[in-house]
Amino acid sequence: MIQLHNVGMSYQPEVAALSDINLKIPKGDFVFLTGQSGAGKSTLLKLLYAELTPSRGQVLIDGQNLTRLSRSQIPLVRRSIGVVFQDYKLLPNRTVLENVAITLEVLGWGQRDIGKKVFHILKRMGLESKLNSTPLRLSGGEQQRVALARALVNDPKILIADEPTGNLDEENKEAILNFFKEANNRGTTVVVATHDRRVIENSHRRVIRLDKGRIVDQGEPSLPGEESAEVPDGSVQG
Amino acid sequence: MAASKANSMKNTPKPAASVRPKLAQEGFFGRLSYFSARALANLRQNVFVSLVTVATISLALLIGALFLLVYVNLEGLANGWSDKVQITAYFDKEPAPLAVAALKTTVKSIPGTKSVTFISKQEAESRLRARLKGQESLLEGVNADVLPASLEIRLDREHRDNFAVTHYVAALKKVQGISEVQYGEEWVQRFNTFMNFFRLMGLLLGSFLTVAVLFIVSNTIKLTIYARKEELELLSLVGATRFFIKAPFLIEGILQGALGALLSLLALAGCYFAFMHNAGSFLGVNPAGAGLTFLSPLHLAAILGGGVLLGFIGSLTSLRRFINI
Ligand SMILES: Nc1ncnc2c1ncn2[C@@H]1O[C@H](COP(=O)(O)OP(=O)(O)OP(=O)(O)O)[C@@H](O)[C@H]1O
Ligand SMILES: [Mg+2]
Repeated sequence: MIQLHNVGMSYQPEVAALSDINLKIPKGDFVFLTGQSGAGKSTLLKLLYAELTPSRGQVLIDGQNLTRLSRSQIPLVRRSIGVVFQDYKLLPNRTVLENVAITLEVLGWGQRDIGKKVFHILKRMGLESKLNSTPLRLSGGEQQRVALARALVNDPKILIADEPTGNLDEENKEAILNFFKEANNRGTTVVVATHDRRVIENSHRRVIRLDKGRIVDQGEPSLPGEESAEVPDGSVQG
Repeated sequence: MAASKANSMKNTPKPAASVRPKLAQEGFFGRLSYFSARALANLRQNVFVSLVTVATISLALLIGALFLLVYVNLEGLANGWSDKVQITAYFDKEPAPLAVAALKTTVKSIPGTKSVTFISKQEAESRLRARLKGQESLLEGVNADVLPASLEIRLDREHRDNFAVTHYVAALKKVQGISEVQYGEEWVQRFNTFMNFFRLMGLLLGSFLTVAVLFIVSNTIKLTIYARKEELELLSLVGATRFFIKAPFLIEGILQGALGALLSLLALAGCYFAFMHNAGSFLGVNPAGAGLTFLSPLHLAAILGGGVLLGFIGSLTSLRRFINI
């Protein structure tokens, strides 16, 4: 459960990037966050994994108030949230395998278990031939999938993706969205920021629309089950 | 939250992956080995900047160690030579045996006295005889009365320079019964004045050097951290604790410090033995004969420890300036 109460965010005094944000995203939901460039989508997502602290208001994740957490508690919250960053943030001097492994190393997993789990997820993403490449040698779509693998390898409670279909062709977009759905079917709450209208229209999910830092449309809470009939999806619940 | 996790794991296709893995890093040594491996990987990835750091530390320690080596040897010489700063106070008449103790006490009470030895006329004569062994004929007709009784006085190390000696002698002359005072050679006193100055300079220079080196090392290490800024940021975003992020850097700093120290000691030993080997030909003296020594194991350990500390503190301060995660 993600809750925002009267949240405001200003990078500079007098200029609000977000204001009066009230939002509730139930556990297991799948929502899109949309709006023009500069509307505040990335800013809102950053508040959810505590990269930013709001200037006003409260952000709650599963009842935990992020604005009241100490510096040593924040890592614990972040471990249950997988993030696909707008700029991927893949480490250029580590291999694909090592990039994905970071999430599990941070948790203190042993090397062998990390190896198994990482190989497994990269295989699912069709990257098993690229395990030892460095990110710079990958195509944009492949980099995107590595970033997604890193976010999902730990089976996070919440998946946050910022513009994940940015420069991808239709096929790759489809593939990425299917991974989101799979994760969602396994119980992960998914929040995706995008201004790709086609992606949103094809998915039939709840859409939250931002404009100049304000929510202009809360969207309808999505009805589970309805959308899976429309979009071909191999791994339907079960 | 635990329930949702278990639930989501149950649904993962491969059951093998859903078993909660053992934490390899549980326990001190598991973590240490992980962090060390990370530190070594970092060193390998940033060979150039790491080498710069090691070279900086090593150069700084080499300067310090050379200074220490010169100092230790000068101090050794100073100790040997300045024993010659011995004051002899002669008496007009040999004091009565009972008065000797009182006289010694009086002299001892003058600040700067280290030891006082009474030499009676008899002893003075037997010393003379011992020194002229084989030429006893020279001493024919000489009896004990010719040589005066005296007090041989050694001074504390701090009182062996010109100024202090002059002061001391003035005080000594006021003691009853002392007729004449002789004291060591002028140059030894001047040397001691120099040594006192050198010690002071050493202290000043040493503290200045330490601060400067810490500054330089910390900034060099900041370069390595800057090179991995993205990595630090990402680690923090996927939920690494501050300790987890910092530990590899601290270990890296310690390794660099230790390596730098070892290199500086090698260079120091090289300088020293090259000097010992070649000094004979251009100085015309045999340096081994002059009693030159290398640093003691304790000093070497201190330099190694200094390197480690330098690397550690350098990393720590630059991390603190960098991470406010
Ligand atoms: N670090 C920053 N410092 C100052 N202002 C910022 C910063 N990041 C974002 N902003 C401002 O905050 C506003 C919202 O930015 P944000 O990145 O959230 O937009 P966005 O909706 O993600 O846009 P896009 O679709 O282009 O990614 C913008 O006006 C932007 O200029
Ligand atoms: Mg954005």
